[in-house]
Amino acid sequence: MSLHSRNDIYAVMSDEEFRAQARAFIEANYPDIPRFSQKRLHFSQSKPWYMALARKGWVAPAWPVEHGGMGLSATKQLIWIEENERFGAARINDIGPVMLGPLLIQFGTDAQKAQFLPKILSGEHIWAQGYSEPNAGSDLAAVRTEAVLDGDEWVINGQKTWATLGNDANWIFILARTDKSVKKQAGISFILVPMDLPGVTVRPIENLEMHDEFCEVFFDDVRVPRENLVGAVNQGWTMAKALLGHERVFIGAPRLSSSALARLDLLARKVGVADDPAFQDRFTRLRLDVADLTALFETYIEKLRHGEAIGADVSIMKIFQSELYQRISEEMMAIGGATAALLEPFEHDPRLHAAGTYLMARPTTIFGGSNEVLRNVLARMVLDLPA
Amino acid sequence: MTDLAEIEMIRDSARAFVPPGGDLVRIRGLRFGEAGFDPAIYRQMAEMGWLMLRLPEEEGGLGLGMRAYCALAAVLGAGLVPEPLIHANLAVRLLGAGVGDAVLAGTRIVLPAWQAGFDGLDLAAGVTGAAGGLSGEKRFVYQAAGADAFLVTGAEGGWLVEAGAEGVSLECEGTQDGGHFGSLRLAGVSAERIDLIDPAAALDEAALATSAYLLGVAETAFEMTLDYLRVRKQFDKPIGSFQSLQHRATDLKMQLALLRAGVDMAAGALDAGVDDARRSALVSQVKVRAADTAMLVAREAVQMHGAIGFTDEHDVGLFVRKAMTLANQFGSAAFHRRRFAAMQPYAAA
Ligand SMILES: Cc1cc2nc3c(=O)[nH]c(=O)nc-3n(C[C@H](O)[C@H](O)[C@H](O)COP(=O)(O)OP(=O)(O)OC[C@H]3O[C@@H](n4cnc5c(N)ncnc54)[C@H](O)[C@@H]3O)c2cc1C
Repeated sequence: MSLHSRNDIYAVMSDEEFRAQARAFIEANYPDIPRFSQKRLHFSQSKPWYMALARKGWVAPAWPVEHGGMGLSATKQLIWIEENERFGAARINDIGPVMLGPLLIQFGTDAQKAQFLPKILSGEHIWAQGYSEPNAGSDLAAVRTEAVLDGDEWVINGQKTWATLGNDANWIFILARTDKSVKKQAGISFILVPMDLPGVTVRPIENLEMHDEFCEVFFDDVRVPRENLVGAVNQGWTMAKALLGHERVFIGAPRLSSSALARLDLLARKVGVADDPAFQDRFTRLRLDVADLTALFETYIEKLRHGEAIGADVSIMKIFQSELYQRISEEMMAIGGATAALLEPFEHDPRLHAAGTYLMARPTTIFGGSNEVLRNVLARMVLDLPA
Repeated sequence: MTDLAEIEMIRDSARAFVPPGGDLVRIRGLRFGEAGFDPAIYRQMAEMGWLMLRLPEEEGGLGLGMRAYCALAAVLGAGLVPEPLIHANLAVRLLGAGVGDAVLAGTRIVLPAWQAGFDGLDLAAGVTGAAGGLSGEKRFVYQAAGADAFLVTGAEGGWLVEAGAEGVSLECEGTQDGGHFGSLRLAGVSAERIDLIDPAAALDEAALATSAYLLGVAETAFEMTLDYLRVRKQFDKPIGSFQSLQHRATDLKMQLALLRAGVDMAAGALDAGVDDARRSALVSQVKVRAADTAMLVAREAVQMHGAIGFTDEHDVGLFVRKAMTLANQFGSAAFHRRRFAAMQPYAAA
């Protein structure tokens, strides 16, 4: 099947048809792994699902068709999200498809695109994001991990931290300091590093869900070819911001809030508050927030599809989504009664797990730019208020 | 001794177990273990008289008031003490001196199995004592695996049930703080019915003590967060210098001030003597603020710590988990708001 005819497949399909296909595909192909899991699954567990999506060509719903994506419209992307959430399909290791892919499509050389995009689509490369360091969190431009050119190789030394599922990844993209003599934003480069090289060490860290979901990554004289740099030398800050734009669209998607809302609904029925008018009023408020968020999300997806740049205002969506997700999780804790204290899902049903939802909602206001920092950015860049 | 001197004394004796900043190594070590707490420490606490605090002096107890009890509970909360003192005190409160010397000495642990529903303060439901013996189920029995016996409550009174008795089965599920809840199933257990002493007041006192414990939890998490705001630097400045965080930290302080005032006020009122309706309204008022404030401080503490606040390695998470575990115990904020409104109905002017 040529790329062009694949393009036609989704563009000409009605939304209802696509929904039916998506639902049927998930139901027929979802492997024997947990559903509705609050904790992220490790690749060792979720790999069969990644591979099923890879075989179908459905790893990258948002990428343009010419690069092997599905090129879906905003509505169809939402349908895809909804069907996944409805079924409770596990989230795959998606840093490659969600973050790096779009960046390479925008800034990569043809050789880089040819080398890396197909391997994201096939599941051969699982990526980690190496931005943060112990002393470069909100102040990301303060990164100290260093890359020095030695002949045709970059020699990398330093430490990254909080790399989500870094223990599953075989590649990591990092922001490294390549010039110390200039303003800090002007001396950073974006480099692709295989994680199986000598000198790379990974230490998993347990999160509040008692799950080793993020990692420290140490680099000790790690050598990678010169061509592993994306964009130009010292242009890493531009890449960093572009990639964060994609991350913020992803975090801003109504996926987390709408699935939490479905959980809240189930829990309310379980604990017997669903008929309480006061609860119903609060529930309706949250439901309308999800509905409005969905409308906002569609506008960003359409912009992306038409090749428009994502501006600083995308943070509006990121902030609203993450805080909405948290409010829903707080409502689960509030109505859950004694079940809200439990460490494992009540009655082994992950959808009734108030505490798990509450904990997993916490970091969404911290990563992808903390909501405090993003409010600062909005005030300066969008509202144009004085510094 | 004056009341104030008594309160100071109990606070000091509590600090011997809970050094400033807490002994969090001990707390971590006990998490997710079988009993969830240390029976030897529990005995030492009993030797301090902490299980007979509320027992009248003429019955051999210390005869202390709610103010002293709340002062103790706040210190225990500040140190995240996992020994189930509030729960054990509830059993003593319901049974009086008849509970026996071994219980007061901490060598025999009796915990109340009072709850059957998800929320609220109904201690009657779940179990019936028909002719064939005691049957039914009590749930969410905190730290149940460490108990020698349970005080099972029902509509007609209570029953002391040995953990190992015929027809008794216990199933435990972990709680966020590293302790657990037990589901106690009873199938035709033979036990003698006992009268319970003023159960509604006893539950209110447990709810108030839990509020004081949550106050201790929240205050300590807040102090840890303030310390972090002072030392963590980003953009070459302490993050505590950023105005948005200063404002939110101030908001937390406001809630803590309201909660502390509420605990003191309600404890003082209960000690002075109030009628049942007033007592319940006051306790509900305080428990609402305690649950909401502890949860608010917990989430702000994580947020202001950034990613490190989301690790299990960092101690602030221990406070978050304790707040999550206790916020809804002895009635959630939602339950207590409903109860308050039912007792003091809103009426248009
Ligand atoms: C679950 C999780 C997964 C993550 N995954 C990754 C990953 O895969 N790769 C990666 O590189 N990073 C990852 N991160 C790291 C994330 O990007 C950082 O946590 C984030 O940038 C904040 O940095 P920090 O944690 O050091 O907090 P800090 O920057 O120390 O911030 C602490 C607090 O201060 C506030 N603050 C800081 N500056 C200001 C200011 N100017 N004004 C007001 N408030 C301010 C923050 O908002 C926060 O509340 C992850 C984090 C989490 C929690």
